[in-house]
Amino acid sequence: MSKTRRLIIVIAVLAICFAFLYPSLQWYFWTPKEDQAIAVGSREQIREYSRRTAYSIVGDLKAKAAAGDTTDLSKEYPLEIQLAKKAYKDSGRPLPKVWNAESILGAYQNEKAIFDAIEAKYREKMLGLKSVHGRALQLGLDLAGGMSVVIQADFQDTAKRVGHELSAAEREDAINRALETLNNRIDQFGLSEPVIRRQGADQIYVEIPGTADPDRINSIIMGKGNLAFYIVDTDATTALRQYLMQNPLGVDEKTMTVAQAGIVPEGKIVRKVYTKDSYGLDEFTGEYMVLESTPGLDGSHIQSATVSVDSITGKPETNFVLDKEGGQIFYDLTSNNVGKTLAVVLDERIKSYAVIQEPIRESVRISGFSADEAQSLATLLRTAALPVTLSVVNQQAIGASLGEDAIRQGEKAIIIGLLAVFLFMFAYYKGAGVNATIAQIINLYIMLAVLSAFKLTLSLPSIAGFVLTIGMAVDANVVIFERIKEELRAGKSRKASIDAGFHKAFWAVMDSNITTIIAALFLAQLGSGTVQGFAMSLAIGNMTSLFTSLFVSRLIFDFETDVLHMKHVSIGWGIK
Amino acid sequence: MKRVIRFSRFFVPAVIISSALILFGLYGYFTKGFNLGVDFQAGINQTVQLALPAMSATYTDKGNAEVRISDSALTLVLSGAESDEKTLVFDFKTYPTIGDLAKALGGVNGISVSVEPGSEALPATLLVPTYEGNTFLSSAGLVIHRAPKDASEQFADIEQVRQALSSLGNIGVQTLQPASQQRFLVRVQDEGTDPNFAANARAKVKAGLEAKFGADRVVVIKTDVVGARYSESLTRRVFWLILGTLALILIYSMIRFKIEYAIGAVLAVVHDALIMVAFIVWSGMEFNTQSIAAILTILGYSINDTIVQFDRVREERKLRPNEKFEDVLNESLTIMLGRTIITTFATLLTVFSLIVFMSGSNRDFAIALLVGMISGTYSTVYIASAFVLWWDNHKEKREKAKLAKSGSQASQPAVKA
Repeated sequence: MSKTRRLIIVIAVLAICFAFLYPSLQWYFWTPKEDQAIAVGSREQIREYSRRTAYSIVGDLKAKAAAGDTTDLSKEYPLEIQLAKKAYKDSGRPLPKVWNAESILGAYQNEKAIFDAIEAKYREKMLGLKSVHGRALQLGLDLAGGMSVVIQADFQDTAKRVGHELSAAEREDAINRALETLNNRIDQFGLSEPVIRRQGADQIYVEIPGTADPDRINSIIMGKGNLAFYIVDTDATTALRQYLMQNPLGVDEKTMTVAQAGIVPEGKIVRKVYTKDSYGLDEFTGEYMVLESTPGLDGSHIQSATVSVDSITGKPETNFVLDKEGGQIFYDLTSNNVGKTLAVVLDERIKSYAVIQEPIRESVRISGFSADEAQSLATLLRTAALPVTLSVVNQQAIGASLGEDAIRQGEKAIIIGLLAVFLFMFAYYKGAGVNATIAQIINLYIMLAVLSAFKLTLSLPSIAGFVLTIGMAVDANVVIFERIKEELRAGKSRKASIDAGFHKAFWAVMDSNITTIIAALFLAQLGSGTVQGFAMSLAIGNMTSLFTSLFVSRLIFDFETDVLHMKHVSIGWGIK
Repeated sequence: MKRVIRFSRFFVPAVIISSALILFGLYGYFTKGFNLGVDFQAGINQTVQLALPAMSATYTDKGNAEVRISDSALTLVLSGAESDEKTLVFDFKTYPTIGDLAKALGGVNGISVSVEPGSEALPATLLVPTYEGNTFLSSAGLVIHRAPKDASEQFADIEQVRQALSSLGNIGVQTLQPASQQRFLVRVQDEGTDPNFAANARAKVKAGLEAKFGADRVVVIKTDVVGARYSESLTRRVFWLILGTLALILIYSMIRFKIEYAIGAVLAVVHDALIMVAFIVWSGMEFNTQSIAAILTILGYSINDTIVQFDRVREERKLRPNEKFEDVLNESLTIMLGRTIITTFATLLTVFSLIVFMSGSNRDFAIALLVGMISGTYSTVYIASAFVLWWDNHKEKREKAKLAKSGSQASQPAVKA
């Protein structure tokens, strides 16, 4: 292969690696911590954030415009001015000379348009950052801090409660519902979005970065879904909606109370209405409802829930059966409230609502949904009917600052370890040592890129694995260099020695690396957690070091021979 | 030509020494056992610090304010809409005392701080890092703790901690160094009787300590919980993992080399793993998933080292088929000595750096690696190569015997004739 072609290959590999590393650079180096804190939050939190931010910006601009403040705001509101520019252009109007509060506001038809534009901009920005975070190198819990919890579903306990052994399908259903319940609570976990995934037949793995508060997390995980039916106060709901048009932030999110008194009657409560977004996660619809303070019916009375299709209209409906006591309560409730709206509330969130057409007894049909909605409502109702017993079998909590300390230590160990190796290589191999160092730096760079590309997690053991891999990767260089030295001692020319050295060392390097890679890949398949991270970094490091020691390092030698016309090899003391 | 070092002369004593070390290790394993880490023992492992309150902070503005304290700085992250979003880092070098820090923190909008009397002038580095638990400021006030300034303020020792927790059943308490900071590792074994063991045991440890030392004086640094089923499956998996890896290495090296090389390489690897086991048992180092990772790494390192060596032996043998194998072996070991020394030295540099700069279990990990690497380099010469030589001699003898047998048969008719 010609040198140019080899150079192109090396450059192409480096470029591809850069593409994989770019999101990591963007996230860890160019995103401020406070933006990170928002971006790792749930979609709902991001939505809430952008709404509130937009509201306070619009408020500030309005106040400035009203006060006749004409100072230039280019520094303060660059994003908003960018948006306003676009609005001016779209409507075909000339751009204003000065960007003050009035000219920014003047870009839009009305206040809602400004509000929506700014909100969308902030939401896009944060969602963009969120996706960057998803593509960036992930830090393990030992570095980022946080908690991991393995939850075990106890089917025997559930079987005891329902009175018969659970079939395979029922177990499947039960564990999926437990997952669903946890996903529903995703934004209660704290600032960061947790990883929730199934592990084997009966376990759930939850990883919560950033937070390490076992008590709170356990109460979220172990708390049973609290499902109830509430009667909606329609008049108060309408009044609240009108009030919120004027005051978009009139509801305090923490206490769920309305700032202005008199809108919500004494003793009634305000709740948010949710739907499922395309990810199957809860999404706040922006709507609020006022409910009676006590539930009309508790979810524990539900015995089963299914989805069927109405034989006449062909529309899907959700059916559920109540126990005897529940049937009586529900009948009383519905006969007293015909024409009113009934809301299904899970964990303080309104998941669905329907108008009561007629009094209903124990067998209930709710229609007016799409097939998916009917299915998710049925799942929701079943969650209340048959909750599977969960218990924590493994839990690790690591505070974020412990992680930071660990990172600092790891950084120091790596940098000093590598410098020591490089200095040693310079001292012992002179010119060839520089060659080896360049190869090792490229090696490290490719390793990180591969780690990013495969979405592997960087943990402390994998950092240690990297340091060690560098040590081992140097071995490939040493084997080759020692061979070249032997050839030189035998009196061969520079070119011949290098050719022979690489040729003869090839299989030694290949064999030794392949056996290590086999071992590492096998471990990565079967191991878990710590072992896996370690094994993967070892395997990746061995593969990339094959490339750098056999390919990149060779290219550097050939470049020196052919382009710089070197006649001798600088490869140690006493050898010419 | 350089002088050839006669490595083979030391093969027999080396094998004897190695066997003795391994037997000693196995003896320790069966009598003493591993100091099993939390990964292998059902129960909770909790690091607690008995500390003194240093200051208390409240936050009344909108949004969230989170305080994080590390060894070297206090970080305040303000987030959420409507608040000034920012991250403030108060470095302990710039704010050397708790009083300075409290003043700086109190200067932030919405935060007010009250310092406990007697804490103002103390160095900020005494503050207990916020590792576990809620670190969000609210109107209720978050207490930030500090370690005792000197011996006069110490109020707890390991005996008192044991006493405070004696009602919990099977517990273990360990003092974490330095003793002056009053940090203890508490282990409570899961007897399997309480389905909600994790949460209950945690609460009981905290309650027990608070009852003895006072409510404001207990800080939980870290809690790990391992269920019985989890630890069992881990042990089983690790065993099969190592066996499977060895089998794969054996198969690959059998394809690439001859069978005696493959067996020699695997023997060397097993030797290194057992030497590490001996070291871990007798040093009393905790055996956890990281120790497994260390053993697995050495598996990779040792096989790497051995294969490079064997490649050279094989090559030299092809070049000089008529020479005695022992001489060929000694010569290739001598040629490769330079490479062995340089590689080992370079790798040791990185491992030393891990030992010097890491702490706790990561440092143990690096020390285990160090032992394994020395063993790995040694075993290439004195176990793997020694085995190949032994096999070769043995084969030669067998062939000679065969030859002698067939020779005598062939000569018999001659005698008759």
